Amino acid sequence: MKRWLALAVLIAVAAVLPLLLSPTGYWIRVLTFTLLFAAMAQAWNLIGGLANQTSLGHAAFFGIGAYTSTILLLKFGISPWLGMFAAGALGGLAALVIAIPTLRLQGHYFALATLAFGEVMRVIANVWAPLTGGPGGLSVPFTPPSFAGYSFKQLLPHAYIALGALIIVTGIFEVIRRGAMGYRLRAIRENQAAAEVIGIDTTKVKLQTAVISGVLMAMLGTLYAQVAVFFDPDTVFSAAAISIRVALIAILGGVGTAAGPILGALFIIPVEELMNDLFSAGAAGLSQLIFGAILIAVILWKPRGFITLWDALRARFARGETR
Amino acid sequence: MTILDVRGLSKRFGGLQALSDVTFTVPRGQIVGLIGPNGAGKTTFFSTLVGLIRPDSGSIKLGDTSLVGMKPHKVAALGMTKTFQNVALFAESSVLDNVLTAGLLRFDVATAREQALICLDRVGLKSVAHKLAGDLSFPERARVELARALCTGPKVLLLDEVMAALNPVEMQEIMDLIRSLRDDGLTLLVVEHHMRAIMTICDRILVLNFGKLLADGTAQQVANDPVVIEAYLGRSAEAHT
Repeated sequence: MKRWLALAVLIAVAAVLPLLLSPTGYWIRVLTFTLLFAAMAQAWNLIGGLANQTSLGHAAFFGIGAYTSTILLLKFGISPWLGMFAAGALGGLAALVIAIPTLRLQGHYFALATLAFGEVMRVIANVWAPLTGGPGGLSVPFTPPSFAGYSFKQLLPHAYIALGALIIVTGIFEVIRRGAMGYRLRAIRENQAAAEVIGIDTTKVKLQTAVISGVLMAMLGTLYAQVAVFFDPDTVFSAAAISIRVALIAILGGVGTAAGPILGALFIIPVEELMNDLFSAGAAGLSQLIFGAILIAVILWKPRGFITLWDALRARFARGETR
Repeated sequence: MTILDVRGLSKRFGGLQALSDVTFTVPRGQIVGLIGPNGAGKTTFFSTLVGLIRPDSGSIKLGDTSLVGMKPHKVAALGMTKTFQNVALFAESSVLDNVLTAGLLRFDVATAREQALICLDRVGLKSVAHKLAGDLSFPERARVELARALCTGPKVLLLDEVMAALNPVEMQEIMDLIRSLRDDGLTLLVVEHHMRAIMTICDRILVLNFGKLLADGTAQQVANDPVVIEAYLGRSAEAHT
């Protein structure tokens, strides 16, 4: 009961927050991307957290999503709302194709194989100019503002769509984590041979998880394209800016937990913006270095991420109450 | 009625012949002991039966179904599973969740939870259901393994040293449990180093040595078999008799 109340308050705060920011300003943009990256990290959290397979290639699905809906809009005038589902289908297919050979790999090998896949997609998008526009990128065509056309004058609706996406993806994550699939994934993560012997089809469960993760990531790619309005292969298929960043957000926040990616995104995206602001004149890219240092520190001292700080805080309060 | 039919089962790891032409059948409802010196191939044999290891040659049939080349989860669905000698629990999950996960083979989460509690009750661990599996003592963890295997609803259950490190009272409890499972219609293959326990509960005993089946008979027959005595005690045993 208390949990639901806390959740309701949290969502209410998140729902009011965009209204307090200037609708044309800089911070609503930061908020929109924070929510979007939280949702992306949550989609990553399915395969990276629940299945414990650290993917460094999720930009592949993200970029496929951005390109699919935008190309459908450009060439056939199809609303991005529908394009988003086509994006999800293609993203899921790509996830299946990459998962079949790579899910046998463990740890670093899986990470490297997925990293390579993301890079392959980037190269393809750069070369396949007739479809993707090549290195020049694509501009999402301007359509008269309407909800059905997924076209808005201001960023405010995008902030709410990103919030809705985060709630939906987090909901899917929680349903999977608490359901039969969550039990199976934990079993696989903790002891694969034992999981098989008690009747878990480990290959199937991992494939399902990879596909769901890919579908969601691709659909979020569509949302990104609609906010960004312009993108090129090096942005949406970026290993550093997408693949590694979503993994970093989930790992810093608390991998495998629903709150982790949200905490991670609330920290990383705004801090990154601030640092880029502060250092852009003298030392561009310093933020990357600082995040690297933070990641090493978290892995050394709090391998379960920021969520453990929160848990520790809560435990302290709980003890205080009982006294 | 034969439930398990193994013929000519062989497996080689590099220069080591882990299993060599093992043949035997088990009728439904028997408790079969599997003994042999360390490295005799007992654990390899269990792993091969459940599909974790693919044999080089030979056949395994559960009822009328051939299992060779089948993945472990299919073997489990058909009704054969094993426990792990070195205990392979999901250490960061609760005891209940460990067992519940096995119940998902045949039930939804809510029913699997009820089944898991029944299985935990059966091994006498209902009181620690909400503890983390990794926090239990070794003998308790072996019993969680047993409960988890039971919760898959097996016809044939392979127990790999579930009585290791038990005190005599606990051992008696497990022996009673194994008998009651047999009375429920289960067929059990039991690997155990504790000879008295094995001799007491098993209807029949197989002796493995260097991957070969040395003997197959009742406790009495096996205990008096000169080949078995030699394998266990070395050549000098012959001189003493």
